[in-house]
Amino acid sequence: MNASNAALEPARRLVRRGLTLSLLGLVGLAGVYVLALGFTPIEARQGLAQKIFYLHVPAAWSALLAFSLVGLASILYLWLRDPRLDRFAAASANAGVAFSAVMLTTGPIWAKPIWGTWWTWDARLTLTLFLFLLFVGYLALRAAVHDPSERARFSAVVGILGMLLVPFIHLSVYLFRTLHPQPIVLKPSAPSLPPEMLRTLLISFTVFTVLYLGFVMTRYGLMLAEELQEEARDAA
Amino acid sequence: MLPEPPRNGEYLVAAYVVATLILVGYWMRLWQKARRVFAAD
Repeated sequence: MNASNAALEPARRLVRRGLTLSLLGLVGLAGVYVLALGFTPIEARQGLAQKIFYLHVPAAWSALLAFSLVGLASILYLWLRDPRLDRFAAASANAGVAFSAVMLTTGPIWAKPIWGTWWTWDARLTLTLFLFLLFVGYLALRAAVHDPSERARFSAVVGILGMLLVPFIHLSVYLFRTLHPQPIVLKPSAPSLPPEMLRTLLISFTVFTVLYLGFVMTRYGLMLAEELQEEARDAA
Repeated sequence: MLPEPPRNGEYLVAAYVVATLILVGYWMRLWQKARRVFAAD
């Protein structure tokens, strides 16, 4: 037996809004491409490859935001035991893995022409790869445990451990000798970028944040709908 | 006179294509899952 239409309506509404919001984000992404390629100057030393930065940095921002919120929601879940927090953490982890995939693919594509190598095992890159693998493990754990409260408890612990990596990743360029550039926006002093480049980067940050919100809303709504359907099946 | 910037546009294109494929692919996965979940209803 399926959950009634009325019971599923809030989930359906959330999914519809999430898909629309993320579709708007994708349209915004096309706008970022136009802005970056047509209306932002070419950096003199790095050439066109520097424009990869308008995707790579906002993708990294969204991934680290997503994983930080997984950790916060997980702490709150262990305290309050509210299933909405667990659902949010799972949705945020899912979106975070997608943004990490963008960060971990665009980074090496930029590094090849600029550093002369696709990858180097320095602190920033290695920790970021660990963070990605940790959250892939988080999603695998969720898929493997069927009891909802056990699944939520186990994954909350992994989510908190993942969140603890985030400040190390941000500070790794100060703490260790690394090839990775230092922060140019999220740093104590003012951003060190020409205004046109900063404008494109900030617009891209906004677009990626919209994409994050849309993805999380959709995933949250889908999980809610699946839980309601499962409850209805069990009750039948 | 300033030197010419290096010619490396192919890396820019590759990065933009890969990022687009990941993000549009993710959105399509969500959309297909939504169709599947609500079609069962």
